[in-house]
Amino acid sequence: MNSRAAAPLLATPYLLWMLAAFAAPLGVVALLSVQESPEIFAPLSFIPSGVQYTDLATDPFSRRTILRTLALGASVTLASAILGYPIALWLTRLPPRWRPLGFACVLVPLLTNVVVRSLGIILLLAPGGLVSNLLAFLGLPRVNLLFGWFAVGLALTQVFLPYMVLALYDVLEAQEKRLAEAAAGLGAGPAVTFFRVTLPLSLQGLRAGLVLVFLLASTAYVSATLVGGRQVMVSGMVVLKEGLEILNYPAASALAMVMLGASVLGTLLIGRAILLATPWTVGRAPRRLPALPPALRRGLVVALEAIGPLVSRLLLGIALLLLLFPLVLVAVSSFNDSPQATVAQWLGFTWRWYAAVLGNERYLGDAWVSLQLALAATGVSLLIALPAALALARGTFPGREALAAFFMLPLALPGIAIGLGMLRLLQWFTLLPAFLGILAVHVVLVAPFMLAMLRASVAGLDRGLEEAASGLGAPPLRVFQRVVLPQLAPGIAVACLIGFLISFGEVTVTAFLTTARLQTLPVRIYAEAAFSLENTVNAISTVFILVTVLLLLAMHRLVPLDRVWRR
Amino acid sequence: MTCLTRRLILGAGAAAPFAFMRSPVAQIQRGQELTVGVWGGAQERILREFVATPLEQQHGVKINFVLGGTPERRARAYAERGRPSFDIVYLNIFESRQAVRDGVTQAPTDRVPNAANLYPAAKLGGYGVAFNPVTIVYDRRKVDAPMTSWKDFWRADLRGKVIWPTYPGAQGTSALLMAAKIWGGSENDIEPAFRQIAALKPFAAIQGSQDQLFTMFDQQVGAASVEFGSFTRAYAEARNPNIVIADPTEGQALATNVACITVGTQKQALAEAWVNLHLSPECQRAYAERIYYSPTIRNLDLPADLRAKLIMGEEAVGRLVDFDWDVVIRNQPRWSSRFTREIAG
Repeated sequence: MNSRAAAPLLATPYLLWMLAAFAAPLGVVALLSVQESPEIFAPLSFIPSGVQYTDLATDPFSRRTILRTLALGASVTLASAILGYPIALWLTRLPPRWRPLGFACVLVPLLTNVVVRSLGIILLLAPGGLVSNLLAFLGLPRVNLLFGWFAVGLALTQVFLPYMVLALYDVLEAQEKRLAEAAAGLGAGPAVTFFRVTLPLSLQGLRAGLVLVFLLASTAYVSATLVGGRQVMVSGMVVLKEGLEILNYPAASALAMVMLGASVLGTLLIGRAILLATPWTVGRAPRRLPALPPALRRGLVVALEAIGPLVSRLLLGIALLLLLFPLVLVAVSSFNDSPQATVAQWLGFTWRWYAAVLGNERYLGDAWVSLQLALAATGVSLLIALPAALALARGTFPGREALAAFFMLPLALPGIAIGLGMLRLLQWFTLLPAFLGILAVHVVLVAPFMLAMLRASVAGLDRGLEEAASGLGAPPLRVFQRVVLPQLAPGIAVACLIGFLISFGEVTVTAFLTTARLQTLPVRIYAEAAFSLENTVNAISTVFILVTVLLLLAMHRLVPLDRVWRR
Repeated sequence: MTCLTRRLILGAGAAAPFAFMRSPVAQIQRGQELTVGVWGGAQERILREFVATPLEQQHGVKINFVLGGTPERRARAYAERGRPSFDIVYLNIFESRQAVRDGVTQAPTDRVPNAANLYPAAKLGGYGVAFNPVTIVYDRRKVDAPMTSWKDFWRADLRGKVIWPTYPGAQGTSALLMAAKIWGGSENDIEPAFRQIAALKPFAAIQGSQDQLFTMFDQQVGAASVEFGSFTRAYAEARNPNIVIADPTEGQALATNVACITVGTQKQALAEAWVNLHLSPECQRAYAERIYYSPTIRNLDLPADLRAKLIMGEEAVGRLVDFDWDVVIRNQPRWSSRFTREIAG
């Protein structure tokens, strides 16, 4: 671990997996994007044509869509960061035995079906909804926030906020509590302590959160379709429309490639900004910003300290409401005696949705497949992402940031485009054993998340402890086993949690690859929703949330979510 | 010429003993597996009960369901043209006709006995297994008078209250084509439709699926939209009695669910047996009773109260408005692009 020359080697397994399972579909999408003919059965041409890109560049509608999508992604990222800090700090301050429940609260949006979650947003924002009623109660005019950019932004913030919170959680949890005490002892109030101590020390985690949320938000399209009322066009929707409805693969691929480029650029910019803000990580002297005049500075500090606690409590309240609202909806709906899932009125109590799920061997069989797949994908991803995280966080080899950006590529390419790429490879793909084929793809989709989070955790490790262990004669492997791993345990636990949930819930790409031999639970739910979303979906979500709480409690016993030796 | 003669002689000689068979795989063999791509939920349940289980019991075969949405299924079938992993895929009206034209699925034949009972409109682009016409649906509390014509969308009392369906998609396609028809255009002259639909702006919303529309009706976001009558009836009966399924004077737009046998399937006979059972009166009755899909066969009688909720009989089926789907398919990319730019967004 101490040998710097070995650092790039540690990233090799991850790199090899990417090359084996992701480079091929990416290559197909890139090749499709330089085809001249949009005809679906036209033979592939290896002479590149720029016509699809020219079309994109000269079409004001496409340009507008791309720019608006990126702006939406940036806004959602910012909102997630602002709401993510209060929640993550709240989690780190929860007594250890309550933490699994705190985590469950944060994870609710990831455990509920997107259609049902969207219904929650609609109930909040509709003309007769909660927000409008609240405004009316306060004597303000009623507003219709539904079916517009605000609704889409809110829906995306809700579902991507958990990633931000979990990315921040581990670095905040690992922070030395005595630093905050020292700041307080030197006269800093909570607001100044946050901005001058807590925030700078958590920037590695913030980077992971920003990258994940930005990439997810700029490729998302389902929420935009559901709560944007089709008046909001994002590029993911256009890729879907061109690719799956019009069957114009070259146009869809070109747009996907442009989005890929823009996302990579965004990732690099975020990395650059964080690097500028954390000069000590590369041993540079901090830049001195021009200081404010003392009177102004004092005024600012007083103002911050006065409103800080209030604002942070308000943000925590809003964030918790946003995260937990779907839970109420799902739990209540799962007992509602209505055939359709998206019902806002109560039609009577029933257990029959639970009976339909738990008594149906097909649901249980598919759930078993999903469980095995998610466990395997998480395990493999951990094995390749942890060494890669060590390489990226500790290595100083040239091209490190470029490699980091390449490792994030699967998140930057819209899922639909990966699916379209896989279609062309289907005849080779089906030669693989069904489980192995889908596992390979799931690892590609899961590993970047785990890598981003683990990288932040590794960056927060106390090198002094490792040096002390080495100095006392421990060989590198033993240092890793006895010193590094225990420190990383909460970070690994959280990364595995996220990886498991992503794989367990993946439907966009899996839907293209489902065969008679292998079907996952989310694909079954999606297939049913394509006809009519039945209330069984809410029963499944409720069961799943309960199971998650139990799993978290069990996991907390095995791998504590906090650092036990600090308690 | 030589080549032709030689091929003829060889071919005739080789084929002579088997002249009574179409191909070596033309008979159902025990142990065969049939892979069917179809929607989940009620449709999967009905098909398992009335088609899959009888076939498995009678012939000792195995039926694999691959559940999913139409877009992925269609994309898969196109990617695997000629060497399909699906033996049967279920598509909608225009996708099925396009798939036949593109050589992805087979045109219907008389080798399926029950296909003889199909209405002609259901025997194009595959085997129509259900009529699921698209019509006007509205909230009676939000309009001044009942809606009886497609032109009623342009009435003053509906200004700003219309929930238009997105294009492409069965509902959006029907809405666009009906608008063209009533405003003096046609599938060959779509201009009036785009002009008139744009004049409806601002919309209360644009809907992309029935579930989305029903939520909008629940939340009273708008007054009227264009949707499948079948689902909307189930919705109105279950939770919103204010919703009316109109029967406009110009007719409802024809839409069908179609069973399509893939080109290149190795289980032709089994696939045809599957379709035959899907077109049996028992299966069609279950569709009508459980999800209000109208039968596509003529030899089914249903109780009067159920008939009233469906499209049944030569006259009613004849009133369904059909279009030249070749023209529609050819123009789809252009119309889709126009819709995104001029109507939505």
